[in-house]
Amino acid sequence: MKVLIIEDEKGLSDSICSYLDSESFVCEAAYDFPTAMEKISLYDYTCIILDITMPGGSGLDILKELKANNKSDGVLIISARNSLDDKVNGLKAGADDYLTKPFHLPELGARVDAIIRRKVFGGKNLVKIGDLSLNIQEKTASAHDKLLDLTRMEYDLLLYFTGNKNRVISKGAMAEHVLGDNMDTAGNYDFLYTHIKNLRKKLLQAGCPDYIKSVYGLGYKFSV
Amino acid sequence: MKLFTRYNRINLFATVIIFLLAGLAFYFLLKYVLIDQVDEDLKIEQHEIQTYAGKYQHLPEIIPVRDQRTSYTAVGNDGGESQFTSMWLKDDEKQPELFRQLIFYIDVNKQWYKVTVRKSLKGTDDMIRSIVTITLLTILLILVVSFFINRLVLKKLWQPFYDSLAAMQQFELGKNKRPQFAATNIEEFRIMNETLSQATAKAHEDYRYLKEFTENASHELQTPLAIIRSKLDVLIQDEHLSEPQSRAVQGAYEAIQKLSRLNQGLLLLAKIENGQYTETAPVNVSEKINAKLEQFGELTASKGLHVSTTMDEKAVVEVNPELFDILVNNLLSNAIKYTTERGNIDIIVEEGLLEISNTANSAALDESRLFRRFAKSGSAKEGIGLGLAIIRQAAEVSGFETRYVFEDQQHHFLLITDKN
Repeated sequence: MKVLIIEDEKGLSDSICSYLDSESFVCEAAYDFPTAMEKISLYDYTCIILDITMPGGSGLDILKELKANNKSDGVLIISARNSLDDKVNGLKAGADDYLTKPFHLPELGARVDAIIRRKVFGGKNLVKIGDLSLNIQEKTASAHDKLLDLTRMEYDLLLYFTGNKNRVISKGAMAEHVLGDNMDTAGNYDFLYTHIKNLRKKLLQAGCPDYIKSVYGLGYKFSV
Repeated sequence: MKLFTRYNRINLFATVIIFLLAGLAFYFLLKYVLIDQVDEDLKIEQHEIQTYAGKYQHLPEIIPVRDQRTSYTAVGNDGGESQFTSMWLKDDEKQPELFRQLIFYIDVNKQWYKVTVRKSLKGTDDMIRSIVTITLLTILLILVVSFFINRLVLKKLWQPFYDSLAAMQQFELGKNKRPQFAATNIEEFRIMNETLSQATAKAHEDYRYLKEFTENASHELQTPLAIIRSKLDVLIQDEHLSEPQSRAVQGAYEAIQKLSRLNQGLLLLAKIENGQYTETAPVNVSEKINAKLEQFGELTASKGLHVSTTMDEKAVVEVNPELFDILVNNLLSNAIKYTTERGNIDIIVEEGLLEISNTANSAALDESRLFRRFAKSGSAKEGIGLGLAIIRQAAEVSGFETRYVFEDQQHHFLLITDKN
């Protein structure tokens, strides 16, 4: 699977690339408008990560070009603009998702994963990972054909983990994923620890290996 | 004190003094002239008596004349020069009356006589009195008339000044409405209006630049922040990170987190100030509160907070929905964040009022500083110091009023959505 990163900030582009890079992903980067236009006309990508503001033209034009050529590449817009209008415009133009800068790479990973799931697996509702299978439609998870009794939050975290398998996810990224803009309200990560502890316990009780590992004080890793 | 009053007071005082002095001078001058006139008459009388005595060798017979008394007294020798004096004497009705008298000596057939001719000053005194009265009345009339004319004229003349003042009072930095000054053909006022126009335009421009600067600076900061954070996200993938390194990275994460919160806060403030949230729609307050409480449900539960609500379910505010979401979100978020575990949060919704109170673990906060940016109290170590500033700004833009009250060991934050 190929991912194209259209982002003029090389630093950010490189980070995204090395974060997403794995056996199943190949990342390519385009740092300006003409290169991006050229690449999308020559190749097909599973997912395109698209910055709206870039030198030489607007990311929205690239999106229009894609749609005009009936390309089915999944598009995730990343933008520093976070107004509702910008989001609505981006999604109306045919993007699959919209992420505001600055973001956590695990968040990007989970979103890209979701896009790919929809594009490649034709919106297949069942995601199998290790002993687990997640039903995206019904928001349920089961292990060894037995339904797990997860809270909404635990299911969310599990899905988030599966979108970032074998990668270390920082506590901050997880907290922000769960609480959104209100993560400040929590004041600390106790809230997160409780939910992860419960999720871990439930997975172990269902007979799964201990997938969720704590990485020093930094965060967690879902290893399969 | 108004300028008019002050001016009128000075004017009145000066005029009265001048008129009084002039009146006194006029009185004495008049008196002098009139007495001089009487003296002339007395001299003519003296001349007549002398001429008569010189011609007939005896003094003329005294003919009683109104207001004039003449008497002769035989004396031994010449009494010297003739002399004028004023004196009070009883008149026919025994009333004291002012007389002017002339005493001279005359030699008739070797016999010296002292002749006294007196003339009553009653007439001239009356005249002086009526003249002075008329003068004073005229002065009074002039004063009264000039007072009212001044008042009317000044008021009319100063009208452009008051118009400009009213326009300036309406002026508010950050609002798009510029003060409009009425045209005037008085040069001073025209110059003043021009200066005010220029000054307000300049202030307006500067303010706009400053706001734009904040917004641009925040925007520009987003990208490097995104890069730093992404680098950290990549860095922690390294399996060979030692524990001290991990702790260092965690420290960096937390600082970045705070920095990006701060930046988002500033950006939001700039957006609110720039009037990006203007479209309004009716929003049901209790529905909004309930939705938010559900969002915060996990957090309130994990802190063991007891939330009680007393809400008028029909209370509706006309507001920008996004802005109201920010307002309610920040108010609740603050309450949750700063309430100690197992504390209380009380929410009251009435028509025109939203009150959120929470158990305080500190004394009353300083209301004058509370809503300012970065005005942190000691306990707010996790905050970025913009939450309440955003609340106030959002409230102001929505035409609401924010108030803080400390009562019964609780912080009460009031949002008055209907100032009537």
